[in-house]
Amino acid sequence: MRKHCKTALLTAAALVAASAMVAVALPALAQPASPTLSQATQEWLRAARLGPHAEPRFDVEALYAQAKKEGAVAVYSYSSRIHAIASTFEKQYPGIKVNAFDLDGAEIITKVLAEQRARNYQSDLIFLPEVATVKHLLMPRGMVFNYVPPDLITKIPRQYREPLLARQFSFRVVFYNSERHATPPVGNLWDLTQPEWKGRVMLPDPLKIPEYLSFLVTIAQRSGDMAKAHQQKYGDLRIAPGVEGAGYEWIRRLLANDLIIAPSTDAVTNAIGRTGQTAPPIGISAWSRVRDKIRAPALRFEPALAVDPVGAVSDIAILAIPAHAPHPAAAKLLIRWLMGDEKGGQGFTPFYIEGHLPTRVDVPPPPGMPLLHHLKVWDQDYDAIWKTSSRVRDFWIRHLR
Amino acid sequence: MALVSPALTVRLHRLRYSLSRPHVVIGLVLAAVLAVLVVAPLGQLVATTLVWSDEDLRMAPDATPGSWTAYHWIRGFASETSRNALYLPLRNSLVTATGASMAALAIGALLAWLVVRTDLPGRGLLQTLGVVPYILPSWTIALVWLTLFRNARAGAGVGLFEYLTGSPPPDWLAYGPVPIVAVLGLHYFPFTFLLLAAAMRSVDASLEESGEVLGARAGMILRRITLPLLLPALLSALVLTLSKALGTFGTPYLLGLPVRYFTLSTMIYSNIVSRAAAAGYILALLLIAISALTVYANQRMIGARRSFVTITGRGVRSRTVGLGRWRGAAAVFAWGLIAISVFLPLALLVWESLMRYSDNYSLGNLTLHFWVGSPDLAIADGEAGILRNRQILGAAWNSIRLSLSVAVLSAVAGIAVGLTVVKGRGTLLAKSVEQVSFLPYLVPSIAFGAIYLAVFLRSWGPLPALYGSFALLVMICAVKNLPFASRSGIAAMMQVSGELEEASVVLGAPLWLRLRRVLAPLVASGLLSGVLLAFISTMRELSLIILLITPATRTLTTMTFRYTEQGAPQFANAIIVLLIALILAGEIAARRLEARAHATRRSEGVVA
Repeated sequence: MRKHCKTALLTAAALVAASAMVAVALPALAQPASPTLSQATQEWLRAARLGPHAEPRFDVEALYAQAKKEGAVAVYSYSSRIHAIASTFEKQYPGIKVNAFDLDGAEIITKVLAEQRARNYQSDLIFLPEVATVKHLLMPRGMVFNYVPPDLITKIPRQYREPLLARQFSFRVVFYNSERHATPPVGNLWDLTQPEWKGRVMLPDPLKIPEYLSFLVTIAQRSGDMAKAHQQKYGDLRIAPGVEGAGYEWIRRLLANDLIIAPSTDAVTNAIGRTGQTAPPIGISAWSRVRDKIRAPALRFEPALAVDPVGAVSDIAILAIPAHAPHPAAAKLLIRWLMGDEKGGQGFTPFYIEGHLPTRVDVPPPPGMPLLHHLKVWDQDYDAIWKTSSRVRDFWIRHLR
Repeated sequence: MALVSPALTVRLHRLRYSLSRPHVVIGLVLAAVLAVLVVAPLGQLVATTLVWSDEDLRMAPDATPGSWTAYHWIRGFASETSRNALYLPLRNSLVTATGASMAALAIGALLAWLVVRTDLPGRGLLQTLGVVPYILPSWTIALVWLTLFRNARAGAGVGLFEYLTGSPPPDWLAYGPVPIVAVLGLHYFPFTFLLLAAAMRSVDASLEESGEVLGARAGMILRRITLPLLLPALLSALVLTLSKALGTFGTPYLLGLPVRYFTLSTMIYSNIVSRAAAAGYILALLLIAISALTVYANQRMIGARRSFVTITGRGVRSRTVGLGRWRGAAAVFAWGLIAISVFLPLALLVWESLMRYSDNYSLGNLTLHFWVGSPDLAIADGEAGILRNRQILGAAWNSIRLSLSVAVLSAVAGIAVGLTVVKGRGTLLAKSVEQVSFLPYLVPSIAFGAIYLAVFLRSWGPLPALYGSFALLVMICAVKNLPFASRSGIAAMMQVSGELEEASVVLGAPLWLRLRRVLAPLVASGLLSGVLLAFISTMRELSLIILLITPATRTLTTMTFRYTEQGAPQFANAIIVLLIALILAGEIAARRLEARAHATRRSEGVVA
């Protein structure tokens, strides 16, 4: 018996000792937000010509000359389409090697945070839709910096270049089966909570895919609009006791209506778009999934854009340069390439498709896309997402079962 | 000299004596390595749950990042979300993992017996195919299940069941605990199969024959002779399967999600991607605690009983049981099992890698483009077929050298752990090494990767900053797969008689010679299964290394991820098929080696 106690004790002791060991090292891990930048970071900013030291004019030749001296650029991208862009960039600017990584947005944040805390600087550019986290976790600690190519300042509305440069929009929309329904079968988000659609509404798992948690946060934020939409079609909204507002009530009713939670965005569109269904489901997914119809031509699904109170919730993907990036000039040049030209451009091409819109106002929408201001769209409030997403996530978990 | 007191001299002598015992020396070195590579990262994990992080400012604006708090634990165990985020998933994890382990144990043990001890037709092939279910990504068997049993809830067409019977299968058969247990059982039975087949091979038939001679009935021989001899391997398999089933994400997620049946692994993943690391780590610690309990129970069961050695200096003779009229039924069972868990998923994968359009299963839609095609801008952004794609071939080479390095390291570690634990049974050193070597298994891969990233980005004591190096990948994979190596090392070492080593000590052989010429050859067969599992797991590793790789150290698995996002699942499937082919080639090569070693040992045994 004594032996067994010993084993248990030993394990416990080892763990406690280890924790203590780590606790000693902790202050280094959790730096408080510093409003002032370190001396080293300020020097790097000056050398890299970023922040207050940015060049006033965009001189591509000068930048290329500097970038060629750097010789390479490392980019962490949430989309694997970065590889196609990297190859056109390398053709355009010989002598600069692009080291492209495709990672989840959450993984990019983890990597940059770790690199910055260890002062082991590997990345030159990040490209991801996790705007709230970059803005509230990385920026205030001087871990990433914004760079807007000077020639684009007049071509991008301020809110899409400050505090961070946004490259393109993506959209969450309601899809329906266009073989079964000649016109959209739903006209109001509250339709999704009606018995008619019980067990036939799909949503990508917000616990796994952050974009859909942000989508729910946006709905929860827009309680006034959600209540008005209910009023329009179904009369006064009766909110269940303990629920905070019309947006939360919609989430609760959606779950109570036997919502089908899907593992991925293409699981939703594949299920909706399959031909030969008598009672196909509807659901929310990424507008850009319409490109799947190229690989699977039998799929039949279309977005329902006239839905009340909103037809699409937009997301932006941003570009930023991590502090102490070893190849800042190459990073700037790659940013400029990624932003494309007034016709879309090679650096933008893989995103110049239905489901995306460039933030540049001088670029016409990709084929099949309306202009942004013709869409019934909600922008996301990234401050609200940062502050309330864990609250919405808790609400979701509480009402799961 | 006269100044040294007699008591101290005795103590010094004792110390010198223990330091001359190989298992003590090796054990001490091992303990030091494990402290750095396992205990320290785990301590980091524990510490993270006990302090405020920068991200917590969202929920608690007054918190000071870096200072201590019990907030995360209270929130985890006693808040409004605890029921759905902790207690129900915990129950579901326990139910599915226990069920899956029982199923895997039953299937694996029966198959091992049929292959090793009977005259079943096609045993050689079964031996090779029996590990394939573990090689396949776990979700492929889940997809086969859905193909057979899905109903309208998954929304992707009717399954074969409904097509044949005309009525939709009930939800309980299509989704939730029943299919999760069945699919995980089919996925993990190779653990039991591999470990038990190796153990059975080293049991000398003469032991059982002695029982017969003494008049014992078959049941008694099984209960009193065979089972006790196999118990260490059986328990090792149980512990491995249970832990793996607790930590797995893909299958429970795919089959549980449509009916909102969540497990702890789902919740851990979700917490980590929502930047609530502390909450995720608390759930992970819960998993670690459960698994530590099973290891502890295992230690008690094996430690409390007398051990039986089966590998002695004499040659091993195995005997074959004639199945007689059961031969047909046994063949149907064995081959039916392989059909469901190997042929069907593989056929599905291969077929889907050959489809020009991914929604058209007709013959006319088949193409080799995704394998050997030259770039065509109309298909998948103009990428060449995988066998012509230099990036993919480079990644394949990385996968191979990574897995081989990990396999070699695992063999060394397996012997070291086996020696320390078995020869020093009952000592503090042995127990702590056994416990600690098992811990990394249960730390979720994604968390383990994040911790190694944080630790090895900077130089650490004598170690330089290893981030970006190939060595770091080898290290993390070897540590994560240590349980495979150590379980099989312990099981193998338990069967080796001490007299062989003692004989070589008497003959004056130095430590390294004893290890190389006596112990290593004797345990090679038992160890091989663990090394093979480490090799297979490393070939398939993704979330463990995703944060640590660089373009130069990309592996095949990281490439599949990419094509799924690009809307070219055919590429992803082709890469998985390539991966399976490479692993099978490795497995067959290992079997060849084993057969040769076995033959050598047998001939030496005869000479002795």
